Amino acid sequence: MAQIQIRNVQKFFGQNQVLKDLNLTIEDGEFVVMLGQSGGGKTTALRAIAGLETVTDGKILIDGVEVQDRKAADRDIAFVFQSFSLYPHMTVRENIAFPLRAVRMDASERDRAIKEVADTLQITQHLDRKPSALSGGDMQRVAIGRALVRRPQALLMDEPLGVLDAKLREQMRAEIKRLHIARGSTSVYVTHDQIEAMSLADRIVILHDGVLQQVGAPDEVYLHPTNLFVAKFVGSPVMNVSDVDIDGAQVRLKGASTGFTFDEAKLAGLRNTGGGVSLGIRPEAVLLRQAKAKGYAEAQTTNIEPLGSHDIVDVRLGDTVLRARTASGFVRGEGLKVWVSIDPSQAHFFDKQNELNLAGVS
Amino acid sequence: MADIALQGITKKFGPNTALRGVDIDIKDGEFFVLLGQTGAGKTTMLRVIAGLEKPDAGRVMIEGQDATAWNAAQRDVALVLQQYSLYPRLTVRGNLEFPLKSRTHNFTPTEIRERVERAAETLQITQLLDRKVEKLSGGEMQRVSIGRAFVRQPRVFLMDEPLSALDANLRDVLRVELKKLHNELGATFVFVTHDQVEAMSMGDKIGVLNKGKLVQVGTPDEIYNRPLNTFVARAVGTPPMNLLNGTLEGDKAQMDGGGYALPVTRPHGTNGQNLRFGIRPEDVVIAADAPAKGRVFDVENHGVMKILTIHAGDAHIHATVSAQTQVGIDDPIAFGWKPEKVLYFDPQTGRNLALV
Repeated sequence: MAQIQIRNVQKFFGQNQVLKDLNLTIEDGEFVVMLGQSGGGKTTALRAIAGLETVTDGKILIDGVEVQDRKAADRDIAFVFQSFSLYPHMTVRENIAFPLRAVRMDASERDRAIKEVADTLQITQHLDRKPSALSGGDMQRVAIGRALVRRPQALLMDEPLGVLDAKLREQMRAEIKRLHIARGSTSVYVTHDQIEAMSLADRIVILHDGVLQQVGAPDEVYLHPTNLFVAKFVGSPVMNVSDVDIDGAQVRLKGASTGFTFDEAKLAGLRNTGGGVSLGIRPEAVLLRQAKAKGYAEAQTTNIEPLGSHDIVDVRLGDTVLRARTASGFVRGEGLKVWVSIDPSQAHFFDKQNELNLAGVS
Repeated sequence: MADIALQGITKKFGPNTALRGVDIDIKDGEFFVLLGQTGAGKTTMLRVIAGLEKPDAGRVMIEGQDATAWNAAQRDVALVLQQYSLYPRLTVRGNLEFPLKSRTHNFTPTEIRERVERAAETLQITQLLDRKVEKLSGGEMQRVSIGRAFVRQPRVFLMDEPLSALDANLRDVLRVELKKLHNELGATFVFVTHDQVEAMSMGDKIGVLNKGKLVQVGTPDEIYNRPLNTFVARAVGTPPMNLLNGTLEGDKAQMDGGGYALPVTRPHGTNGQNLRFGIRPEDVVIAADAPAKGRVFDVENHGVMKILTIHAGDAHIHATVSAQTQVGIDDPIAFGWKPEKVLYFDPQTGRNLALV
């Protein structure tokens, strides 16, 4: 169990700077997910914590002790990779026992440690089988078991569910979270999958181009994104973003004849730098009606995606197509007239130039 | 434009049977999605339609004619693959012209230019025409791949997971565009995917494949709401449909291993029969006075909603609830279901008893 601190970390690969002044504190027992696209810097950050990469500059502290110059083996941190990296000629039991070979431990103690992780991961029945006889999910359970058997200070995972199919991924997500709760170990988990991040994390760390974009609980990141990158990276379908003109209490999409009415004081309070404003609105905050109503503008449906539990309906208003989340079958077809509005309490405004959320972060 | 029929198609690769007596009718102008996991046979089926694989038994009919012996070129179909298969050293224009320059076609230079420009305009890649392919993004490359199929103006477009290699946001965009393209062209599209969201959101019809067999063909609504069996029931929807083992007792479903019962209305099956009760996560109801008691095993925050996993009896049950629902892991929770939404499956055969 440990607190991990990253202080002013810079990392270059040749001329290419992949971590730009990264600062982050991961609390003891916390489950932190690093989220970003490939090339964003998340895996490099994880490997730097593990000691699999050196840092060009800056400090990494584990429980207050500087470790940036220590080898990976001397940091007491376990790492789980996307590929299972098990020894194929060893049984599951031998694979899990492997990290204990360097630890002084009598046989009964070792057996107890193996049994405990195997029970937690529900792989006891596989202990005497070879990895090749296991399913993908069980192989990754063994890999996690091997990482945990030493009771490391922290568990680092790099896209551990990436190669599993969708249903197994969902199931393993819940298991990893239960395991974290049961063991209480500090966990850092890297993924490009925003659903995984939202569903696993105590806090999400979003990295893009080597720069930390936002750190926050899933709700904060979803409801109060600091900038356009975060707003569009989290949530599916992606947040609608379009240029708007703001005039008093009216917010008008480009090419639309009527605007949506907001609280004028709220609009006046935006930290507008005059560089133009984009409206960001999630599909669930785009409201549709079949009949004319106050505050609703006439629009046309252009596409419907029926997903069974709900539909995603595209509507054209002026020059803009907005995606709306509706009940199944709410709109009958494409090319039909509907009335659209937005929920002002769920609207975001971004500076078109620097892409920052004009409301700041609450 | 063409309709396609497969009749009793069987295809073996050595000891493995990839397709087992598949019958399918794809109508002229339909957007038909083949949905299945890796190894289900969907790519083989596409290649049989394309004429790239010869079936061991059965017939391929195109526009009512037996096309089984026709080669790929005679079938007038175009194939778009997951990998872009473009010529990296050629420009976008060069790649689009390429299929038209084959000696079998005899297009004039003017015809070629017109076709290329129309394809580029439709796919919104006109501004890229003179760029080298290797300078393009993944999404642009996939548009060019589709464009290469498009210039030939084939009767049938066959697409093998064309969006799988793209990132999530781009996939969202291209899904909509492909559907639009289909509407404009009116050509027959056969689209292979393992992604149920793609299948549901794009298909006029979905064919669900499992282990070389076509399990069900239907509209997205039919597949989602009236699945033929438990396999189809769990092939679409996230999280998948809950399947709970129990016994029908009068107006109640008495669950195994849990000691709780939930109400049913107009059930299928006979009193006292063992059944698998199917209920989708969005039809599980959380309420203080709900009839069943369990414990929260997991909470996933998806922003727009939360997905709860409830541990009750010996089962884990998924429930989709509003984002504002405040529950924590290990909290006790009371739940029920919408009785009118329950499906009744035979526990042995997996068949939906309403459709037998």
